[in-house]
Amino acid sequence: MMWKERYSIGVELIDDQHKELFKRLSHFIQIVQSETNWEDKMDDVKETLDFMKDYVIYHFNDEERYQEEINYPDLEVHREAHAKFREGINDYVRIFDQGEFNEEKIKEFAAKLMAWLIMHVGKMDQKIGEYVKEKGVRHNES
Amino acid sequence: MKAECINAFYSATQDVFNLMLDLRVERGDIKVVEGLVSSRNANVVLGVTGDLKGSILFSFTQDMTLEMVRIMSGLEMKTIDSFVSSALGEVANIIGGNAVTNLTNHNYICDIVPPQVIIGEYQSLSMANKKALLIPLRTHIGEFDINIFLSESQ
Repeated sequence: MMWKERYSIGVELIDDQHKELFKRLSHFIQIVQSETNWEDKMDDVKETLDFMKDYVIYHFNDEERYQEEINYPDLEVHREAHAKFREGINDYVRIFDQGEFNEEKIKEFAAKLMAWLIMHVGKMDQKIGEYVKEKGVRHNES
Repeated sequence: MKAECINAFYSATQDVFNLMLDLRVERGDIKVVEGLVSSRNANVVLGVTGDLKGSILFSFTQDMTLEMVRIMSGLEMKTIDSFVSSALGEVANIIGGNAVTNLTNHNYICDIVPPQVIIGEYQSLSMANKKALLIPLRTHIGEFDINIFLSESQ
């Protein structure tokens, strides 16, 4: 179980998406680390990888929109962090597209994604939660 | 080497271990060592450029490395494969990034060169026999070291 309760920021929309991200990433790591033959799990890896990269972007967009709604003061810093995160993912997508779609590179990518996500949600996103609590922001999560 | 350099890396390590691994890190007595030599299985070397120049070596045992990745992923790890070594390298990279931010507060502007993960015992990462500082660190899942070899750019 990768998700930890202390990652919650108290905003349902964002917490739910974070939980989904951790759940999918955990599934991705399980596939990547399973002892199944690489050729046999390749389709599963590709499918999960596609979902992960799309969902990260979708989540970042929602999270940035929420920050705009609440006039979050560190929105620009957070946007930059998201841009860097996206760039990291895109670097790997390029590597995979250029033909290096192999077990070693996929494992490397899964590990980095895990570390980036834990760090981003565990540190940077917590500041959104602190702001929301401090300012008593009302949630508009529809 | 100034105390702020050591503290920058020590406090970054404490923060990242606490945040990513739920681990408390305690420091032992700092030693002066010749070059960057490791007697542990899993090593990560980070290059530092800018106002400070040199290398940082993180040294972990295999057991501790596997346990660190288990904590992060929630899955048992049996061997140090490219998933485990990449995760370890990224933890060290994040520590390095945070340390560089800490150093900015002391007016040192530095950058981190992407990590190099070296698996295997008794790797000698010689720095032309120059002296490095070794910080022994303890957590409840094992002990590890950080070797710091940094000098101020001319």
